[in-house]
Amino acid sequence: MSELESGEGKPNLTPILDMVFQLITFFMLVINFKSAALDLSLKLPVVGSVRPVDTKGQESLLILNVDSQGDINMYGRKQPVKEYIAKEAMAALIGAKRSQPDLEFGQELPTMVVIRADRTTSFKAINRVIMECQTNGFRKFALKAKREESS
Amino acid sequence: MSRRRRRGSSEEVELNLAAMLDMAFQLLTFFILTFRPPPTEGQINLRLPPPVGITKSSGADPGTDFNAKEPPKSMKSLVISAYSLRDGSLGQLAVDESNVGGLLSLDNRLQIVFSNTDYDQVIIYVAPDLRYEELMRVIEVCTRQRLRDGSRLSKLSFVEMPTS
Repeated sequence: MSELESGEGKPNLTPILDMVFQLITFFMLVINFKSAALDLSLKLPVVGSVRPVDTKGQESLLILNVDSQGDINMYGRKQPVKEYIAKEAMAALIGAKRSQPDLEFGQELPTMVVIRADRTTSFKAINRVIMECQTNGFRKFALKAKREESS
Repeated sequence: MSRRRRRGSSEEVELNLAAMLDMAFQLLTFFILTFRPPPTEGQINLRLPPPVGITKSSGADPGTDFNAKEPPKSMKSLVISAYSLRDGSLGQLAVDESNVGGLLSLDNRLQIVFSNTDYDQVIIYVAPDLRYEELMRVIEVCTRQRLRDGSRLSKLSFVEMPTS
């Protein structure tokens, strides 16, 4: 008597399991936890000549989301500008000291500051952030923008 | 020995795939829910040192170094001014003392300026109310310029204009 006749038909789960594992592998490869630091509610300015720059993981980055009021938003929370940048500068200094033990506070830090600011933010607010970064030793900056207006 | 082998061959080990499938679906759900495609963004890389005074100083107060016989050397600085209108949009642009019309004129002017002279620093004076998107348009024009050594201009300093 066959399985069907006896009413014990079992679906072959192997192909569906194969497919699910392939999907999991795909999502594991494309997942990027760094994008959680990006505030996607910001409307970046549109500049035609900007290009995506791949640092190939060589450079450490400090991402600053600056909203239209000039506040820094990180992981959905507003951060005090002065204290947050000072804290990040100290962390960058400690990290940089591993490769450059002579590095002292106030000297140029190798970390690149990535500024993602809302297009309506005033220069006054952005300059406050830039000056605070400069005071803490950051010199390399990347100003983020979109290449074209997304719908 | 033979008995043992016979018993082993008669047992059929069945893996419970349903449990594994449950777990795999849970993992898949997690990855789907946490997946956010990265936004297609570009960036302008800049080196932003704090602006230095037009006249280079050795750090001492003026008049304190009595042994100094030479006058202080001046920094060759190019000053670009970006004024804003009331709504925060870009108003008048100026290179050093002279006004230029719009961004196209600024581009032409900077091409001429940089092809003739080397500068120690380029300072952009920006009105405090100027919107970031308008500032980026000015920066885009500046970073498009080629210096006399063939490299692109990437070292800028920002200064906030005093409010009138």
